[in-house]
Amino acid sequence: MYIIVVGGGKVGYHLTKALLADGHEILVIERDRRKCDLISDELGGVVMHGDGCEASNLADAGTARADMIIAVTGDDEDNMVVCQVAKAKFQVPRAIARINNPKNEAIFKRLGIDETVSSTQVIMERIQMGMPTHPLLHLLDVRAHGLEVVEFRVPAGARSVGRRLRDIILPLHSVIPLIISPSKGPVVPTGETIIEADSEVMAVTRTESEDQLRLLFTEAR
Amino acid sequence: MNGSAADPDAVRLACELAHDSNAKVYAMYVIEVKRSLPLDADLAQETARGELVLADAERLANTLNCDIETELLQAREVGPAIVDLAHERRADVLVMGIIYKRKFGEFTIGETVPYVLKNAPCQVCLTRQPESA
Amino acid sequence: MRVLIMGCGRVGSTLAVDLDRDGHEVTVLDLNAAQFKRLPAGFRGVSVVGNGIDQDTLRRAGIESADAFAAVTQGDNRNLMASQIAKHIFRVPRVVCRIYDPIREELYRGMGLETVSPTLVISGLLKASIERE
Repeated sequence: MYIIVVGGGKVGYHLTKALLADGHEILVIERDRRKCDLISDELGGVVMHGDGCEASNLADAGTARADMIIAVTGDDEDNMVVCQVAKAKFQVPRAIARINNPKNEAIFKRLGIDETVSSTQVIMERIQMGMPTHPLLHLLDVRAHGLEVVEFRVPAGARSVGRRLRDIILPLHSVIPLIISPSKGPVVPTGETIIEADSEVMAVTRTESEDQLRLLFTEAR
Repeated sequence: MNGSAADPDAVRLACELAHDSNAKVYAMYVIEVKRSLPLDADLAQETARGELVLADAERLANTLNCDIETELLQAREVGPAIVDLAHERRADVLVMGIIYKRKFGEFTIGETVPYVLKNAPCQVCLTRQPESA
Repeated sequence: MRVLIMGCGRVGSTLAVDLDRDGHEVTVLDLNAAQFKRLPAGFRGVSVVGNGIDQDTLRRAGIESADAFAAVTQGDNRNLMASQIAKHIFRVPRVVCRIYDPIREELYRGMGLETVSPTLVISGLLKASIERE
């Protein structure tokens, strides 16, 4: 498939990396020259420098032959315009927009962009599922205090699979409030909870421990 | 190789370097494919041009008694393609020739050379034509 | 008429003052309260601080009872999104949208939005005055 990713920030970069690994042809369109250079140094010739909202840039990018366009900039209005222009002018079969403000999801649907992804929404839903009484406001507070709410999937070959949560030594100031396992669905885990492959693990951790925590659960045996 | 007047200098330099260390020379020509076309698009005209350029390089190398192999590639961007091939062939040295070029009245080196200088896994030799050439 | 104007820059504020002088009920919306300094002391309209692509802000600015909506911020995409919210979600009878980029302007006009491209208007005016004897 030929997939165009508009926006080469954190989300765009990781998305591109994953899609390339799946064997797709990818092009990232990014406005910031420095971000372009960073991606190009690491991933090679998959970047175009320019504004992905400009129809002329989309034409140069070969949008007319794209199977999919994914707009993941940090501005909802830009993501909306990218998807609308791609659909109306270039007849791209699938246009997916990242939504930063969850309130915009309904608006995007009404304006003909039916595939949207909102990370804020996903995390909030998970939290609501696991802790129905927990005030959502805390989510906004955590960042300012050097904490991150993160989630990741446990791959089948991971070292953590089959172990009890109590046997996994977490980094300081980290908690696992929610695990969504394929067999039990969402559970608030105890020390006795056994980690299953393909579980989604949600964690609250200090920013600097994020990678360490992720590795504990995802690193291969 | 890119078909510029600097190509013969690059071939000569590569052959000299190879001769001293008994190494092999690969001459590569990259066809840049526009994003509006698939990467494996059939580009007859560009292919013919690339083949000509590589044939010239081969002829020159032969007169210098140098073992040469040629490679014609299609890629989106020249810089990353060169770097990839250098990895693949485990090249010890990349040799590039450039002409003296001005754009908007200023000397310019383009995008490919800086990319290769920054990202190549090996030594890079650059030979620039005299300004008048 | 009740008119809601998003963006209190040079154009937005001039438009607001003009409409106010003609006896319309004007509300001006801008992210930056400092922009309201452009409105003169005699301005009878209402000014609201907030983001025009947020439905709640638009409601607070009275979009549900507005007869007309004008999007004149500096950002083409912001104007496009707000205009579409006004037209398709709040069903404002009259919606006009400023778009600098002529290509985007043409495209969205084709999609049924009422648009003005200052780029085209001004270059047209300049051309006319240059060609005038």
